[in-house]
Amino acid sequence: MIMLRLFVFIILCWTTNSLKAHPLKLSLCEIEYSSKKQKLTINLKLFLTDVNEAIVFDPNSNELAFCQPNESAKANQLLLNYLNRFFYVKVNNTLVELKIKNKNLKGEGDNTALWVYFEYNQSTPLKSLEVKNAVFTDLFFDQNNIVYVHVDEKSKSLMLDKKKSVHELKF
Amino acid sequence: MCKLNSNYLVILVITFLLVSCKKSSETTNANADKDKELIQKALEIHSRVLTLDTHADTPLRMIQPGFDLSEKHDPKETGSKVDYPRMKEGGLDGIFFATFVAQDIRDDDGHGRAKNLCLQMIDSIITSTKRNADEVGLALNPDDAYSLEKQGKRAIYIGIENGYPVGNDISNVGLYFEKGVRYITLVHSANNDLADSATDPNGPEHDGLSDFGSEVVKEMNRLGIMVDVSHGSDSLFYDAISVSKAPIIASHSNARVVTKHDRNMSDEMLKLMAENGGVVQLTMLADYLRQAPPNKERDSAVAALRANMKPFGQMTLEEQTAARKAFEELNTKYPAPPATLKHVGDHIDHIVKVAGIDHVGIGCDFDGGGGIEGVFDASEVMNITIELVRRGYTEEEIEKIWGGNLIRVFKEVQEVAKKIQAEETT
Repeated sequence: MIMLRLFVFIILCWTTNSLKAHPLKLSLCEIEYSSKKQKLTINLKLFLTDVNEAIVFDPNSNELAFCQPNESAKANQLLLNYLNRFFYVKVNNTLVELKIKNKNLKGEGDNTALWVYFEYNQSTPLKSLEVKNAVFTDLFFDQNNIVYVHVDEKSKSLMLDKKKSVHELKF
Repeated sequence: MCKLNSNYLVILVITFLLVSCKKSSETTNANADKDKELIQKALEIHSRVLTLDTHADTPLRMIQPGFDLSEKHDPKETGSKVDYPRMKEGGLDGIFFATFVAQDIRDDDGHGRAKNLCLQMIDSIITSTKRNADEVGLALNPDDAYSLEKQGKRAIYIGIENGYPVGNDISNVGLYFEKGVRYITLVHSANNDLADSATDPNGPEHDGLSDFGSEVVKEMNRLGIMVDVSHGSDSLFYDAISVSKAPIIASHSNARVVTKHDRNMSDEMLKLMAENGGVVQLTMLADYLRQAPPNKERDSAVAALRANMKPFGQMTLEEQTAARKAFEELNTKYPAPPATLKHVGDHIDHIVKVAGIDHVGIGCDFDGGGGIEGVFDASEVMNITIELVRRGYTEEEIEKIWGGNLIRVFKEVQEVAKKIQAEETT
C-alpha cells in the first residue's frame, strides 16, 4: 500500500509538472521557393507570449514592444540571437544568414502571433533544404514546430520537436 | 498516588490511541477494498463497451520524420499522447484522427496548398493502418468500430479539423469523402470561407455559415459526412443545426456554464443539440475544463527572481541559461493547479442534466493540447470510466457516453445520406 501511494504521488507530481504551462505548444514555419521568381522566403509564426518568455523570461512583457511604435532598439537583435541558437535553414548545404525583412503582429491576447519574414534571392536551383526548428524547446518539453515547405507547385509538411529538430529534404 | 494516576492516564491514552488507530485502520482498509472493487467493476465495464475518442490531432505527429505509431512513446519526452500500444494499454477501441492544416491566405494558392497538405496527412493515416493491419484497421462506417473491436483491432477513423482545405471548391468534399473522411470541423481558430470561428480576433465575417458553407453542409449531408461545429461561433452552431438535414456533432467541446469559454457550449445550445439528436464530445483540454485558479506563490517568487535579474540584453549565454534554470525550478516548485477527472465528471454531469444521457461523448483532443491529470494520454483513458462509475453511471449509460451516442449519430447521418441520394435518383 505504501509503495502504491508512493507511486501515485510520483505520478501526480510528474503530471502536475507536465501541465504547468499552455495547453498547446506550437509554432509554424513556411518556407517557399519559386524557381520563376528565383526567390526563397521564410515566414516564422511564433506566439508572442513564447517569444517574450524565451527572450525576457516574461510571457506578458512589453519591454521589447515588438511591432509597436515604441519597439525597443534591441528587439530585432535579441530575437535574432535567440533564433540563431534554435533555428536555421541550409540551402544546397549553405547556411542562410537570418536577416529580418519584415515582421508583424496578428491576433490578440494570448493568441497574438509574431510573424517574422525573411526573403532571399536564390538563382541556383534548389537541390536540398535542411531545416532546424527547435524554437521554444528550451522552454517546453512538448513544443511542436510545424514546417511547411512549398517548392514551386509541390508542398510538404513536417513536424519538428525537441527529439527530432533537424530534417533535410532533397529535390 | 499522583504518579500512579499519571501512569494510569498514560496507559489509558495509549490504549485509546491504539483502539482508535485500529478502528481507523479498519475503516481505511474497508474503504480501500470498496474502492478496489469499484475500480475492478469500472475496468470490466471499460473492456466491455466500445470506447471511441472522436478527436486526436495525431496526424500532426505523423508528419514528424521517423515517428512511428506502432511504437510506444514516452509522453514526458515530447508530449506525444497517442500511439497504437498506448491505445491498447488504455483500452481505447477507436479514434478519429483529425487532419489539421494551419490556416494561411484564403486565395487559390493558399487553398491549393492546404488541400495538398491535407491529402498528404490522410495518405499518412491510410499508410499507417495498412502497415499495422494486425493491430488497427481503417474504419469508414459506424459498424466498422464494432467489427474491428471483435477482431481485437483498434478502429481508425479520419476527420478534418478546419474546412480551410475545402477552399471554395465544393467537389473537394466528395474527394475527401472518397479518401475516408467522415467528419469535417467547419472552422478552426480563424474564420474561413465556410464559417465563422468562436475565436477569430476580427469577429464574425459571415454571421455564422457563409452561403458556400451552407452548400458544404448540404453536400456533407448528401455524402454522409458528419457536420462538426467545434471551434465555431455560436451563430455557426445555430446555422449548422438549421441547415443540416442530419444530426450534428461537436467533436471536442465542453459546457460553458461549468467553464466560461467561447469554445464551450451554452445550455441553450446543449438543449438544441438534444432536440437535433446530435452529440457533444467532451474534451480533455484544461482551459475548457476549468478556470485556472491563481498561482500567487509562484507569481510572487517569479516577481522576486525577476527583480534581482540583470537586464536580459546584458546577460551572457551562461547567465541566460542559469536564469532559465531558476525559472524552471520555480515552475516545478509551484506548479499550476491541474485540471482533473473531477472537472471531467462535472462537465459530463452538467451536459447529462441539460441535454440528457444520449447527447454526450468523449473527444480528448490528444496531440492537440488535450491531456489532464489522470487522463494524460491514451493509456489512461480508463480513468474516465472509473470516474463515471464513482459518480453512479450505469454500464448502459457509460456505453452511450463512450461511443454509443456517436455511433447512433453516425448511423443517422448515413441514413439521411441514403435518403438524399435515393431522392436524387428518382
